[in-house]
Amino acid sequence: MALSAVPLWLRRPGLPREQTAAGSGLQRARSFMVLATLLYRVSHLAVGLVAVLQHQRDEPVPYALLALALGLSALVHGTALRRGWFERRHIWADVLVNGVALPLTLYAWGGAEDSAALGWAMLLGGSACATAALVLDRLQVVGVVVLLAATHLLGYRLVDASTAVVLGHTNSLLSSAAMAWVFWWYLRRQGRLLDDANARTLAAEATRARYVERLEHHRLLHDTVLATLTTLAAGGVDANTPQVQERCAREAAYLRRLIEQTADEVHHRGIGEALEDVVGAAESLRLRVTVRYHALPEVPPEVSVALADAVREALNNVRRHAGTDHAYLTATADPGRPGAVVVTVVDRGCGFDPERCEPGLGLRLSVCKRMTAVGGRAELDTEPGEGVRVELRWPG
Amino acid sequence: MARVITVALVDDDRMLTDGMRAWLGGVPGLRLVATATTPAELLRPPDQELPYAAPDVVLLDLRLGDGSDPVDNIRLLLSSGSRVLVISTVPDRARIIESVRAGADGYLTKDNDLPTLVAAIEDVAAGRGAHSPELAFACAHDDSPARPRLSPRERQILLDYASGMTLKSAARRAGITVHTAKDYLDRVKAKYRQAGRQAYTKIDLARLVREDSLDGQ
Repeated sequence: MALSAVPLWLRRPGLPREQTAAGSGLQRARSFMVLATLLYRVSHLAVGLVAVLQHQRDEPVPYALLALALGLSALVHGTALRRGWFERRHIWADVLVNGVALPLTLYAWGGAEDSAALGWAMLLGGSACATAALVLDRLQVVGVVVLLAATHLLGYRLVDASTAVVLGHTNSLLSSAAMAWVFWWYLRRQGRLLDDANARTLAAEATRARYVERLEHHRLLHDTVLATLTTLAAGGVDANTPQVQERCAREAAYLRRLIEQTADEVHHRGIGEALEDVVGAAESLRLRVTVRYHALPEVPPEVSVALADAVREALNNVRRHAGTDHAYLTATADPGRPGAVVVTVVDRGCGFDPERCEPGLGLRLSVCKRMTAVGGRAELDTEPGEGVRVELRWPG
Repeated sequence: MARVITVALVDDDRMLTDGMRAWLGGVPGLRLVATATTPAELLRPPDQELPYAAPDVVLLDLRLGDGSDPVDNIRLLLSSGSRVLVISTVPDRARIIESVRAGADGYLTKDNDLPTLVAAIEDVAAGRGAHSPELAFACAHDDSPARPRLSPRERQILLDYASGMTLKSAARRAGITVHTAKDYLDRVKAKYRQAGRQAYTKIDLARLVREDSLDGQ
């Protein structure tokens, strides 16, 4: 029956939090930190450019080193922007090259002889350890901070920097790491809380949808089975008339399917619902349909619709041409192909010569067209006197 | 067929019992000789001293109100000398499979029409074993680890018959005779019974061993 339309994504519990990607709180926290560290690094590179122009305008090596820093930064942050998070080995490369090797090279071969000329290269260590604090394990972060602090002390001692400069820059290095780590911890925690809250909302929504579905069943039971039983119990009608018997048989068939479905509930959403509608409609036109489902996979909504349309067409054909009031419908998973589905509509009526008969033509055209439109296929099997078997497969 | 087939019904739904009596009453060649709410009651009618004459076919409701195990019920009735045709309101597939493994000769849902029921009773009485699409569907989609291995041909006939085709149409589709197609279905059922017998023997052995050791202490 037409039950509440629970979107597919509601029915898939237990996806690992990290895989729900795009809009999740964790992913948002990551995007923010990627952006923040990028801006931090850009500010340091800008300082570097100004410093080189001011103090070492005519030396080639500082320009080359600045270009190296720029290239490596582009790699680290570009990858993070593209993939959503940093690559560990990029971080190590950034720390070792930009944070350690670059200032020492600038001193040794770049002619940086005072703290003003060397300072910009030291600053890169600050943004390197901010990024490292986000990505690396705690012990590794401590190692990186110690390494970079040692580079600072060594580098500034070589150029005889004032104590105030050494202390100031080392302090900036340590606080960069600490602040980056604290921000990251806080945002990540908020992101998780947000994700958990969202998951709870989704679960509540799914429960509500199931509840609505149950109410819908109850309403149907009320209008059919309960109404019939109440009337019969009151004794006013003759239970042996064909009309009453037919109505009882139809409602019994509905109950039977309902019981069979609830035993296997999860699988039959989607295709099952779509087919139930069709079966209900056929039964109200006085066709008895024996329905059996087994382990139906989830399929795209348009496939459910196409299957239901094709089945409706096939059942119509039974009603009009087969000379029987009984049809069999089965819908199962295809055991050989995961995710595939096989639906058959079978009758034991008069059948026809598939080469000549026009019902065959109409049936084949309408059913096949619907199935091929969604990448499925339909097959017709019949002979005069042998009933008709329509088989629908998706994917084809 | 000069001989009348004797039939008994074990079902705890009084209305269904009455309905079945009325139904079968009009069928020549069949006689409903007894009805009971449990197999035990059928085998030991409380108010009769006469020796029990096993009916040819017992129609057994799959799920009785006393919650008894269908497998035990089937074995009890088989051991009394009757053949057993299981019937039920809803096709509970796991229990249908259990029934066949336990040796039931056929299975039908109660919404089948009278000719289908009569044909099934006649088949069972003649020792041919009754086939039905509902039973075939249960076997064809049996996912349990204990399921027997079926050949591709057996599987195809089983699936086609389970989809509602007549055996004749299923045979034509497979390009074999009806006789061969029926053979395939018989073989599938035999495989299930064979598997059931082996499992049962193992359980029995285990029980005997346990009882023996208890006796020995």
